[in-house]
Amino acid sequence: MEENLREKLLKAFEGKLTKTIAMYLETCSRCGICTTSCHVFNSMPRPEYSPAARAEVVRRLYKKYFKLQGKFWPSLGEAKPLDDTALDDLDRAAYSCTGCRRCMTFCPFGIDTQQIMSIAKLILVAAHAEPEILSMLADVSISKGESIDLIKQGFIDGLERLEGEVVEKWKIDAEKIPIPTEVQEADILYVALAGAHSIIPSAAIFNAACENWTLSFFEAVNFGAFVGDPGKTRLIMDRIINEANRLNVKEVCICECGTAFRVLKQMSGKQSFKISSITEVHARYIREKRIKLEKNRFKGIITYHDPCQIARNAGIMDEPRYIIKHLTDNFTDLSKKPEENWCCGGGGGLVAMGQDSHDFRMKSSKVKADQVKATHASILVTACENCHSQLSDLNKYYKMGVEVKFLSSMVADSLI
Amino acid sequence: MDTLNYIILVPMVYFSFAVFVAGVLYRIAAILKKPSITIPLNVYPQKKPAWLHALADTFLMPAVFKAKPVMWFFLIVFHASIFLLIIGHIELIHSFSIFQIIEHDIFLGRGFVGLTLFISLLYFLFRRFSSNARNLSVPEDYFLLILLLLTIILGSELDWARTWFGYQEMTVDGYQTYLKSMLLFKPDISDVTYSGHTFMLVFHVFFANLFILFFPFSKMMHAIFTIPLNKIRRG
Amino acid sequence: MSNEIKADKTLDLKGLPCPMPVVKISKGIKEVEVGQVVEAVTTDPGSLTDFPAWARTNGHEIIDTVQGDKEITFYIKRIV
Repeated sequence: MEENLREKLLKAFEGKLTKTIAMYLETCSRCGICTTSCHVFNSMPRPEYSPAARAEVVRRLYKKYFKLQGKFWPSLGEAKPLDDTALDDLDRAAYSCTGCRRCMTFCPFGIDTQQIMSIAKLILVAAHAEPEILSMLADVSISKGESIDLIKQGFIDGLERLEGEVVEKWKIDAEKIPIPTEVQEADILYVALAGAHSIIPSAAIFNAACENWTLSFFEAVNFGAFVGDPGKTRLIMDRIINEANRLNVKEVCICECGTAFRVLKQMSGKQSFKISSITEVHARYIREKRIKLEKNRFKGIITYHDPCQIARNAGIMDEPRYIIKHLTDNFTDLSKKPEENWCCGGGGGLVAMGQDSHDFRMKSSKVKADQVKATHASILVTACENCHSQLSDLNKYYKMGVEVKFLSSMVADSLI
Repeated sequence: MDTLNYIILVPMVYFSFAVFVAGVLYRIAAILKKPSITIPLNVYPQKKPAWLHALADTFLMPAVFKAKPVMWFFLIVFHASIFLLIIGHIELIHSFSIFQIIEHDIFLGRGFVGLTLFISLLYFLFRRFSSNARNLSVPEDYFLLILLLLTIILGSELDWARTWFGYQEMTVDGYQTYLKSMLLFKPDISDVTYSGHTFMLVFHVFFANLFILFFPFSKMMHAIFTIPLNKIRRG
Repeated sequence: MSNEIKADKTLDLKGLPCPMPVVKISKGIKEVEVGQVVEAVTTDPGSLTDFPAWARTNGHEIIDTVQGDKEITFYIKRIV
């Protein structure tokens, strides 16, 4: 590795060294309690899949370049230089971690492996060694923000084709628009994903609740966060913030996408609008009796997968269960405590890497499949696109025999 | 020999303490100088008051109890013993009445503090050889454990000799004279260097010196950072 | 116009979850020669903004977009 590249990478590293992250790097005692808390390790017990081992890949570089111990006595803490081998190690560590933060709940010190892996990801970005597909997706999102005026008419035309399906789920007055866009002063700006499945059910529910809503031109998901590029994360997030401010909406509602929700909720800072997940909004509609659901329309045992970024990492645990209570009498939880639920195994950009990560995603999530099978559920419901894709893949791979569904689509199909 | 005893018991102790205090303060200052992170890093569900839960997480380690009860037992025993040991050493400087709320002989614990520490250290050391922990371990982990083990076994033997075997030399008064003189910067080691057990004290102090010298530059800093990190996790 | 375009490869991207349509088209375009055309069929309204943005950032050309009743068909020419 050339010296000036190394300097550039170390500068990127240094930029990540906040108070908290520096303490995370200083504190680990390598007790190994986190090891068995990781779904990857539990499914494939290899030493490098212990969260502490992943963090140690970054920590070795930290010792070497930012710590006295590594300068005077590198072998003591196995401090390692930043070279091409180190980049390979960083890649293996960062992209075998889904950022679910389950290990953090078991760590006696509360060390956040996701934050440490964000250093690894940033170094890979600076070295242009990140997964190409994730950067490409982030660039597409940013480009969309820059050229939205050119392409939004096409999107509006495209939405018209969905109107029939929206009205099929919930009839509205003929003069009303089933999927409104560009509504100034709307109460809710709904940020969906590209797919029709993320727009149609939600639109029907908004209409059923007589909501004054408007659909965003942008997709909610933030690929900048997956690839660990703070600059791109910000640009992608700002598209939505700017749109919300331009329309002067009261609330931004994020579709069933864990990353999108956590990034916007926790990284956007103070805004004039409220940020909610679609699950919170649906629970609110039920509580306020703005929508009514037919119970037990879906037969069989129903279980719910808590998306890590929405539940453990953003606190939405009671709302989905409240909604499901109105959908079925036959609910069973996957784990005793929602915060201890196993990750689906598809987070951190792994699902977006598609076929490239398929083998690892399947093998590293055996514990998830076992957990689902143990419930004998016939419907596995979740509230995150990423989890849904991964769980559907697992369903095929491990023959789990469940139907994987979105919570919003179950709500839409049960509207009365 | 006398010179070596003197170097270890006087200048090296001063030097190690100076490095320890300056090093710890420097490391804390270095962290405080860094920018703050702007995003919340807590996990849910949140429990109030967060600071109380953070303290409970720090000192009672409920997550460890759930995951590895045996290890939890030794961790609690070890850290509680360290706490008692610190009190014991303060009493070797001067007999404070506040510590005598529960009446005891100095050194407190009748030799059992050292024994429990020794056993828990053996546990920590041997578990490093089991596969999962071995793969994670770096030389620093063994180095610190062995250093502590040596310090504690030698210190304990001094204690056991008096408490369990009625050894009459190297008394509490002797230690108090030595440590008080150190504190007043008028070092007097005569009361602790006349006996056949002096070599144990010298080695005990030597390894302890190495340990505190190394403290600020090692994972021992977890002693300082665990509370703030647990608070961050609790929100 | 679309009748005149001869596609060298057809991709069925109907009903795929996020972000698979863009992932698959960027893989698919690499499987044809420069100058050849890929026909991509989707059902997602989001692809109407995603695909132009993707083509722009990756230097390809969308030569036609046909919106049918249910489906949207893109004709994309590999430029680089």
